[in-house]
Amino acid sequence: MTLNLTSADLAAVGPEIVLSVFGLLLVLLDAFARPLRPAFPYVALAGLFGANWAGHYLGGTFFSKAIEASDLTRFVDLAAISAATLAVLGGAALLERDRKNQGEFYALLLWSTAGLTLMVKGSDLLVVFIGLEMMSFGLYVLAAWYRETAESVESAMKYFLVGAVASAFLLFGVATVYGRVGSTNLIAIREAALGHSLLLDPLLSAGLLAIVAALSFKIALVPFHSWAPDVYQGMTTPAVTFLSTAPKAAAMVVMVRILGALAPNGLGDPWQPLLGILAVASILFGNIVALSQRDVKRMLAYSGIAQMGYAAIALATFNSDAFEGLLVFLAGYILTNAAAFLSSAVLSAGEKEAHSLSDLAGMGRRRPFAATILSLSMVSLAGFPPTVGFIGKFLVFRSAIAAGLMPLALVGILGSLISVGFYFRVIYYLWMKEPGHEVEIPEEDPLAGAAYVLVAAGILLLGVMPRPLLEIARAAAASVSFGPLR
Amino acid sequence: MTESAPFDLLGADILTTLVFLPSIGGLLLALVPGNAKNAIRAVGLLFSGATLAVSALLLQRFDPRVVGIESFLVDRHWIPRFGIRYLMGIDGLSLSLILLTTVLSVCVLLVACGQKIDRWKGYVAAFLFLETGMLGSLVALDAILFYVFWEVMLIPMYFIIGIWGGKRRIYATMKFVLFTLAGSLLMLVGILFLGGVHAQATHFQSFSLLDWIPAAASGAWHLSIRQENFLFWAFALAFLVKVPLFPLHTWLPDAHVEAPTGGSVILAGVLLKLGTYGLLRFALPLFPGATFRFTPFIAALALIGIVYGAWVAAAQKDMKKLVAYSSVSHLALVVLGIVAGNAAAISGAMFQMIGHGLTTGLLFLLVGVLYERRHTREMSDYGGVATHVPVTTTLFVIAALGSVGLPGLNGFVGEFLILGGVFQRSVVWCAIASTGLILGAIYLLTLVQKVFWGPDRNSANRGLTDINGWELAGALPLVAGIVWFGVAPAPLLNLVRTSADFVVQIAHLRMVP
Repeated sequence: MTLNLTSADLAAVGPEIVLSVFGLLLVLLDAFARPLRPAFPYVALAGLFGANWAGHYLGGTFFSKAIEASDLTRFVDLAAISAATLAVLGGAALLERDRKNQGEFYALLLWSTAGLTLMVKGSDLLVVFIGLEMMSFGLYVLAAWYRETAESVESAMKYFLVGAVASAFLLFGVATVYGRVGSTNLIAIREAALGHSLLLDPLLSAGLLAIVAALSFKIALVPFHSWAPDVYQGMTTPAVTFLSTAPKAAAMVVMVRILGALAPNGLGDPWQPLLGILAVASILFGNIVALSQRDVKRMLAYSGIAQMGYAAIALATFNSDAFEGLLVFLAGYILTNAAAFLSSAVLSAGEKEAHSLSDLAGMGRRRPFAATILSLSMVSLAGFPPTVGFIGKFLVFRSAIAAGLMPLALVGILGSLISVGFYFRVIYYLWMKEPGHEVEIPEEDPLAGAAYVLVAAGILLLGVMPRPLLEIARAAAASVSFGPLR
Repeated sequence: MTESAPFDLLGADILTTLVFLPSIGGLLLALVPGNAKNAIRAVGLLFSGATLAVSALLLQRFDPRVVGIESFLVDRHWIPRFGIRYLMGIDGLSLSLILLTTVLSVCVLLVACGQKIDRWKGYVAAFLFLETGMLGSLVALDAILFYVFWEVMLIPMYFIIGIWGGKRRIYATMKFVLFTLAGSLLMLVGILFLGGVHAQATHFQSFSLLDWIPAAASGAWHLSIRQENFLFWAFALAFLVKVPLFPLHTWLPDAHVEAPTGGSVILAGVLLKLGTYGLLRFALPLFPGATFRFTPFIAALALIGIVYGAWVAAAQKDMKKLVAYSSVSHLALVVLGIVAGNAAAISGAMFQMIGHGLTTGLLFLLVGVLYERRHTREMSDYGGVATHVPVTTTLFVIAALGSVGLPGLNGFVGEFLILGGVFQRSVVWCAIASTGLILGAIYLLTLVQKVFWGPDRNSANRGLTDINGWELAGALPLVAGIVWFGVAPAPLLNLVRTSADFVVQIAHLRMVP
């Protein structure tokens, strides 16, 4: 095979190229121009804007069908860049205060973002694997960023070990698919599967099971979730802001793409019930365990498990309606979860301290701005209108009910009801509880303020006027073809 | 109206103005510093007052003879992909409740101006946002839009009880949220399911009541009995929790006792009515068959509620709890009137919804006036205070007599109409319901006697000051309504009559076997 690069090929990975170059630039700047450190966040932001600007590529397949660019990949590009932007905006001041603002932090974040978008663009399972690894390596290091604290090291070790296992699963699955179909290319696999249903093949089912498990690790669906609370707790907030949002969303999208290639005639037994069980287990487990958490970050970890459970309802529904709903849900989740992490970081004593719920007491008076953002994000996570969280849940439940999956929707409703118990507890601490002891909290800074205004506007505006988001999600969802509507 | 038509704020889009005016005030408050008490008061009164003016304008332009819920129709796309519209319209029933809401909102803020309230800015803002939620629920004709406003009401109320409430406020507010949310989430499932049914039956995606009600009346949905029963309960439970009907009422006494005065007034005055409003607007017209099937069951619960609520109220020592249980009893009577299904009972129920909002609103308001001064709601702490607070006493007696159903005050008209209608349906129902009313007279008059008359034993009451100017300004409109609708009920009855006939007509298409 001769490598025949065209400019269209390069344009298709434009965002990845921009992100990688800016990452390198940041590392070099840190080595040779250390006094510029306070400016690094702006360099990273420039890189992210550049990547967004480079994201207007044409749709189609590139690099000998190893890369597929479409409205879907543009959607994920935008989502990942937004998540990274929020992490930089909200995290810059925290990192500077703790003198942890080395250029590598931003470089790793940008590279991880590039890996993430590459993973989604991959129409060859090996490219998907490479993208996943590139995304994960950055996050492994970011998890250990506060390496002098035991929690951070524990967090990194756990995430690395679990990640290694997930990678092994993914590779095993890819190898099995290759062994059965003779190709790792999703387009070729789809063509083979159109002829006769591959999902009935035991070997291939084992391979697919391994792939689903690997991606479920990244998404933190029950029973592949156990790393999440410890990793969230130990990881520095700007990094968690990214880790808990974009990679999960991307893994969901990849899961849909792989299932779509292997099951072009629609998902049937036993895959639909299996995904349904993942959804139900995640919703119930995540919400119930979150009720007993007293640390904000751990609570958000369990909440994230439950939130991905709702998303998995759309996965089990598996049609273009549900996929559209899933994309809207994921976009809302990224905004809302980022808002929750960023505002809770500002309301705590520091990154090395525990983010205890009781420390939030009385913050409504002391920091009304940040407290309002945190409350708003809790309301959105709980799925109340008029927030984007409601729109996402609404669409997911709607498509499930339309497809006849009423039990899944009812479990989702039950989960939402349980979740009010812990989401509203945060609001209770912020506004209704008198503080037991004074917690020293740092001043607010303008960059983080910009991040708040962005997320608050996004959560509310997309909740009131969801049409633009729905339209791009619809275009993106059309990039994956599903079997006949059930 | 077309999609691109410009907003005509006092013309075609007057309902949009009505709904969002209060929350614009709420947003403006964010710019006002928290210690500028007078500025906050001005913003609150200005915006709730302007909303009241808009609702008065609606009343002036409204033609009560028009049948249907399409008056002042606003119809714009919202989420066209799923046939969800920004669809608003009113009829006589919603207009009367809108007026109740706008009047009570102004009254609550007026009363609050005369009392000492911590975190004043948040308090005013919460009530303004709550007003938007309530008005939105009353005008929305698209089921999804209705659901959005319905849920939006929860959050300000959660804050109102949770921040400005009494000792057990956290328990009370959480219970309120969970009970209401459980009902409304089930309703969301029902709405989504029905949306799917409608799309399948008519090949047209819509969540609009204007499409749903005719489809339901013509039987176009072809629902099986099981489906209709499920859907009916998915809607009805959400509304019956809000009413609240026995045995779903347990959140109400907690919420009322812990809520601040304004919260109690709005809760009793408007939020509970939204439950009965929902029954009349959604559950009954959409599922007349199921309504008919479950009428004996709901009527039985309502009868239990009437007697039980009155019985428990009679045993209370806490004034607020007593009034709260009296609400359980009175609202059960309204539900009984609704399921009785004839024109007299339903128009009586509609009349009584307004009447109860005024009398119980005033009762809570005046209990709040006493509590503000003495910080106790125990009846035994008072006694003979009439000599110290003559004006408060007078007003309280009017409210109590209105609530009891004294001829010449509004309670009499509503109760009489309901009982008359119920009598046509079943003499037994009527007899049981009447005992509740007799008990009502006993406990409310006992309350008046224990608190305001009797020996003036407690020396702590000596320094009790009478109702102040702001509080009086908030109470007088309610007194005026109580007297006016008692002496001249015809205007209000005319307003709701067409709506009542409309409901009866739809219901009879399918309900009468």
